[in-house]
Amino acid sequence: MEGPLSCRVSARALHHRAAALGLALLAALSVASAAQAHTLVVFASVDCEAVSVEAKFSSGKVAQKGDVRILDGENTLLKTLTLGSDGTVEVPLADLPHGGGLLIEVDTGGHDNYWIITPKDIARKCGS
Amino acid sequence: MKRHLIAASAGTALAAFPAVAHYGMIILGDPMVSQEDGRSVDLTMSFSHPFELDGMALETPVSFTVTHEGNEMDLLGSLESATVMEEQGFTLTYPLERPGTYVFAMEPQRYWEPAEDAFIIHYTKTYVTAYGDDHSWDTELGLKTEIVPLSKPFGLWEHNVFQGIVKLDGAPLPYAEVKVEFYNNGAGATVPDELMITQTVKADGFGVFTYAPPAHGWWGFAALNTADYTLPHDGEDKAVELGAVIRVHFEEWKGH
Repeated sequence: MEGPLSCRVSARALHHRAAALGLALLAALSVASAAQAHTLVVFASVDCEAVSVEAKFSSGKVAQKGDVRILDGENTLLKTLTLGSDGTVEVPLADLPHGGGLLIEVDTGGHDNYWIITPKDIARKCGS
Repeated sequence: MKRHLIAASAGTALAAFPAVAHYGMIILGDPMVSQEDGRSVDLTMSFSHPFELDGMALETPVSFTVTHEGNEMDLLGSLESATVMEEQGFTLTYPLERPGTYVFAMEPQRYWEPAEDAFIIHYTKTYVTAYGDDHSWDTELGLKTEIVPLSKPFGLWEHNVFQGIVKLDGAPLPYAEVKVEFYNNGAGATVPDELMITQTVKADGFGVFTYAPPAHGWWGFAALNTADYTLPHDGEDKAVELGAVIRVHFEEWKGH
């Protein structure tokens, strides 16, 4: 795609490559900050079993529909899921090659944002 | 009370001013933590004269809590002793597990102030937002005395007004006096007169006060009132000054 979106995707790729290397480096590389859609708050937590994704608007209302894209540390799309009506979706961690971290994108059509799960996040929760 | 040299405005001589006001302080490493910033926030607790950077000993507080999404957690046991402004203070690195607004609050031990012939108890708090979620930025904790923010207590530009409601025992306090003081850490701010170290505003009839700081950085707002009880000191009942203190960071405006 062209225009601002391609710039944003490029920035995301930057974030993602940084994610593969760890959060500290991400902070240094993320000058070209990504998505500015601040009205959608995306968060993903991880334990050794699953990645839990949640999305809500800054008003506090959950996002009731949307596409959830999960990419790996090489910026390869791994899965596309549908957000549940409660604003969440869960995917087994074992189904995802997560060694290089994961990028979780949520797109509701009108708003989008992302969350990065770094290898350090996974190690912190799984002790591995 | 200690006396300190405060740099006067350019062209004038240094003058000796007394350190006039001491406050509880909770200073955050970052009041707006994004996912790129990390997964935790650093806090530094002290009791000090923030403009003069004159520290006082902060004893282990009576309580230190964090409130997130309506849930309060005791963090007293997690505080680490530290030297702040050359005096006893505390630090804490708190993991931010989820998005949202976190409110850190401290009830210090009562402090006997002989110069005022009274005890001082400053209920001190500050707010941090995590991961782009500012929901619940106006959280009221229900402290004995408290400033409830009407302006979002983070993400403010310098020169923005900050508004809050002064409450005592849960009720707005009409015409409450609010002291305002800058944390002069690394800023090198100077004053032409000691009266300008602490700014003073009054709330309106509904307990609402307004202030616009002249510069970015950490600003403290303290509503000081006399408690409706006394505490004994050397066999005499003494007054208690209750302080509702909120620490707010104003961001530098870099546009034209």
